[in-house]
Formats: sequence, C-alpha cells, structure tokens
Amino acid sequence: MKRRFLITAIAILIVAIILDVLVVSGHVHVKLPWSDVPGFFSFFGFLGCLAIIYGAKMLGHYWLQRNEDYYDKTDEHE
Amino acid sequence: MSMSNFPLAIIYIIGAAVLPLLPRQLRSAFCLLISATAFVFLINLATGASLTFPFLNYELVVCRVDRLSLAFGYVFVIMGFLGGVYGYHVKDTLQQVTALLYVGSSLGVVFAGDLFTLLFFWEIMAVSSLFLIWARRTREARKAGFRYLLVHAFGGSALMAGILLHFQQTGSLLFTHFEGGAASYLILLAFTLNAAVPPLNGWLPDSYPEGTVTGSVFLSAFTTKVAVYALARGFAGLELLMWSGAVMAVYGVVFAFLANDGRRLLSYHIISQVGYMVCGVGIGTEIAVNGATAHAFAHILYKGLLFMGMGTVLYATGRNKMTELGGLFRKMWLTLIFFMVGAFSISGVPLFSGFVSKSMVIYAAEMEHFGLVVLLLNLASIGTFLSIGLKLPYFTWFSTDRNLKPEPVPMGMYIGMGLTSAICIVIGVYPALLYNLLPFAVHYQPYTAPHLIESMQLLIFTGLAFWLVVKKLHAEATITLDTDWFYRRPSRLAFNVFSVSICELFGAIERLSLRAARYLVRVGANPVGYSLEAAKNVSHTLLRTEKPAGEPSDFSPDRYRIPLGIMVLVVLLALIVILVWDFLF
Repeated sequence: MKRRFLITAIAILIVAIILDVLVVSGHVHVKLPWSDVPGFFSFFGFLGCLAIIYGAKMLGHYWLQRNEDYYDKTDEHE
Repeated sequence: MSMSNFPLAIIYIIGAAVLPLLPRQLRSAFCLLISATAFVFLINLATGASLTFPFLNYELVVCRVDRLSLAFGYVFVIMGFLGGVYGYHVKDTLQQVTALLYVGSSLGVVFAGDLFTLLFFWEIMAVSSLFLIWARRTREARKAGFRYLLVHAFGGSALMAGILLHFQQTGSLLFTHFEGGAASYLILLAFTLNAAVPPLNGWLPDSYPEGTVTGSVFLSAFTTKVAVYALARGFAGLELLMWSGAVMAVYGVVFAFLANDGRRLLSYHIISQVGYMVCGVGIGTEIAVNGATAHAFAHILYKGLLFMGMGTVLYATGRNKMTELGGLFRKMWLTLIFFMVGAFSISGVPLFSGFVSKSMVIYAAEMEHFGLVVLLLNLASIGTFLSIGLKLPYFTWFSTDRNLKPEPVPMGMYIGMGLTSAICIVIGVYPALLYNLLPFAVHYQPYTAPHLIESMQLLIFTGLAFWLVVKKLHAEATITLDTDWFYRRPSRLAFNVFSVSICELFGAIERLSLRAARYLVRVGANPVGYSLEAAKNVSHTLLRTEKPAGEPSDFSPDRYRIPLGIMVLVVLLALIVILVWDFLF
C-alpha cells in the first residue's frame, strides 16, 4: 500500500515536472514568485490538502467541535 | 412598458397569486410555464432599456437592463426552471408559491435601477425564502427559520438605514457605484451579510441544511448570488472585499471539512465559492468582474445540482449525515453520477463548468500580482475537491455499507439533475456560451496547456493526499461552532434580559396593584372604622395614648347613620323659622 502510493506519486510528480519545464515555463502570462519552481502545484496540492485536513481537525478538536445537542440542551423554551 | 423593459418580477408575482387558484395537479406544470414565460420576456429585454414608475414624489426605476443584470437574470430564470423540474413532485402549495416569489424577487433586485425598488424586493426575498425553510415543518427547521428571519431583518434594517442616509446626503435614489461614507458602509454591511462574508456568515450553514429537499435547491442559488450582484454593482474595486473574499474561500472549506451533515458541508462550500466572487468583485478590473459573474453563473447551476444530489439522498433515505450514510453505490448510482458532475464542476476539473469560471477570478488576481490571493484561492480549490469531490461521495456512496433501503425517487428529480448536469458540461466544453453573456468583452482562454497542467497537478496531488490518509478519516457526529454562536449561545441570556425579566417586572407590578386594590376594597367597605383606627394609631404614636386593638370591628352602616328623628327635627325647625319670619315681616 505505502509502496504503491509512493511509486504512483513519484511517477506523477516526475511527469508533472517534465511538463512544467517543457510547456509551462516560458509561457506564463504573469511572473509570480513560484513561476520558476517546476512542479510547484503538485507540492502545493499535496501539502495544501494535508494542511486543510489536519488544520481543520485540530481547529475542530481543540476548539470548535461540540456534541450535536450543544445548542439544544440549554434551550428548553419553546 | 414594452417587451424591452418588462420587469420580470411581475410575471412571478402574478404567477404566485394565481397558482393557489389552479387545480392541484396543474400547479407544478404552471411553475414551469411561469419560468418559460419569464424566459421569453428575458430574451426580449434590450440592453440599455429602463422603465420608470412615478411613486409619491420619486421616479422609481423598476427595470434597468444592462449586461451585468442580464447575466444574472439569465441564470436566475434558468435555475428557477430547473428547480421547478426537480420539484415537480412537490404538492405543497406553500413551497410552490414562495419559490415563485423568491425567484421573482431575486430578479426584481437584479433589475432594480433604484435603491427603493431594491429594498422592496430584498425584503420579499428574505421572507419568501424563510418559508422554504419552514416548509420542512420540523422543530429544527422552525427554530433555524426564526434565527434566519432575525438575521435578515437586521440586514434589511441596515440596508434601509443606509439607503435613507444615502438619499439624504446625495438626493439620489439611483443604484450605482457607492463612494464611501457612513451610508455606503451600512449598505455594504447589508450586502455582505447576504453574501455570508465572515463574520456575518453564521446564518447560512445554520439554515440551509434545514430547508426542504427542493427548498434548499432554491436557497442555495439566489440570496448569496443576488448579494454578489449587488456588490459588483455598488462596490466593485473595494480592496477590503478582495481580501475578505480570499479569506472567505478558505474559511468555507475548513469548516466544510468539519461538517457531518451533507447539506451543511455544501452550505459551507457556498461560502467558499462566493468567496471567489467577492474576491473578483474586490479586485474590480473588467476581467475580475467578468470572472465573478461567470463564477456566479456556473456556481448557481452546479451548487443547485449538488443540493439536488444530496436532497435526493435525503428524500430516499431520510438521512443526510455522513455518519449515518454509506454503501449507497449500487442502489443510487444514477444520483452518484449526477452528483459527481456537480462535484467535478465545483472542483474545477477541466471540461466542467467550474474550470472555465473559477480560473477567470484567479487569472484576474494573477494579472494584478496579488500572489497571496492566488495562493489562498488555489488552497480553497484543493479543499473543495477534497470535501465535495472525494470525502462527501466517499462517505455517502462507498465507505461502510449501512444496508440502507432507499425509497424510490420521483422521475422529475432525475430529470432535473440530468438537465442541470448537461448544462454544467456544456458550459465546460463550450465556455464561449457563458463568456458571451458576461458584462465585458472576454479576452480569456481557459484551455491553455499551462493552465491545464497546473490544474491537473493540483487536483491529482489533492487526490493522492486523500488516498494517503483516507483510512484514518472518519466522519464525526459533532457540530461545529461558527459565528452563529454569538447569537445562539447568549440567546438564553437575551431571553432572560428581554423576556423573563420584563415578565417578572410586569408580574411584580401586577401583584403590587392587586394588593393595593384589595386594601382599598377593605378600606372602602369601612371607611370610618379605618379612619378612626388610623387616628388612634397616630395618637398612639404621638400622644402615647392607648394602643388600638388591631382591626376595627366590622362595618355596620347603621352605626354611623344619623337617626331619622334628627332629620325630622331639623326640617321642623327650619319650617318654624320660615313661618316665624313670614309672620313677623
């Protein structure tokens, strides 16, 4: 499982970097700080996804998530 | 009034009035007929046309047609039709009437040329949409509806205050670009509240998941996008909006990831997607406003489709929480296909509608060199694909098989989803269809090799990251606190301050007055006895006389009545005096 994942990920990354070098660089319409980093959006997609998953989970567990009856149990006025 | 400047809202309002008079089995078809009629009038509207209507001392511009209002007009009429197809099975007159009013008033706002007309339709929109929530007829829906009403009543009041102030300062009611000042901030507050810009976003994920199956399809489409239109008209180029929009896009996906209820997850993604539009409006260049409009257009359709998909699951299983769903793949595969069209569209997969609209906003941010905004918007794209493209379908249709037995689903719901899916794909494949409707001429090509390669990298590596951690993910049966906490949690305090304490005060006054009344009755029944008692009390206190012995004895009128003999004596004496007087003089 781990092994298969690594092989797939690295293979796609290599293809992405090759495409970035061949096609994207030189054709960017606007120069931004990451325009010269090949495979930038691969890394950004991967790390961004993990950041959202774990960031959201931490935010939820340490602060915002509550039981489903959180609002109801204090609210007996009908 | 002619075909070129006909206010479309009238068609829907007349329709809503006529609908209850028709036989029940014709009403659904009649809703579609109204949408079709409106569409005929819509394609005959001429850019630049307007219709004024004298009201009191003002010239109201009840219809103003330009390219911006036309673009929103098109998508609203189309979505009204698609919602009608999806809800064809609905036999609830309340929902049908309020849905027509809701669509009509949204069109009323979009074509309003002056602020008074805008406010009028703005308020109808709030009230008619409220009934689409209440029509669910559950306790949760009722309570969420009341909160929705209060929030929007607040927004409407801010809007009215802003408009009055604006009118007082400028003497004009025309709805054009606002130039700062207190009045425009009040109006901005009302617009951003309806656009659900954090921290004014709490009402949206609180109420939309509680609407009816078809009602939420309508809710997801109109209120927020009308607000985007209003912002684009009144506040294009306001930098605050650009940053709010970019933050909002990420805010929505983070909260969406924590949501358990499928339609609440989708609601948070409305916030996120509207973030792109608000950001585009805030950048304010032609391409950015085009992007915001295009994204609103595409978003209304695919978000409607996603709500239709989750609504179908809710209809068939009675469940909408990821912790209670799973394994529907074989039983509801057609719904899954339609849902995935919506999911691919919102995620910006090439050949689907989101790809050609979302990228315009990002492109506009790139053109202005707002690197951080570009990154935030791309991060939101990742989160969108993660939650809607992967997590929600995974936990609903795959994951643990909970052996659910879905009820059969009406054909209209499938047709509605099918039509909407078709439009999403057509826009993705032929973006020119959409671009031709935008307010400014479009010089933008979404299908370039660099853009395709970058988008595919983003999507594929999001998918890979999901694959890596999917076994550790599980939906959690919790709710997430949001800014609605600020009025839901202290509601008990507010209830105590504004209701309980006032009731207590009234109660105390009532008890006091009753005691006073009882005392007065007692005194009134024996005034002399009590007066004597009081006199004795006073003399006891002042002159140290004998202490009176408690209550006076029972009152007997005869005890104080003057004897009859004395009266006779007085009369006799008076008579004698008169006679003597008469005799002597």
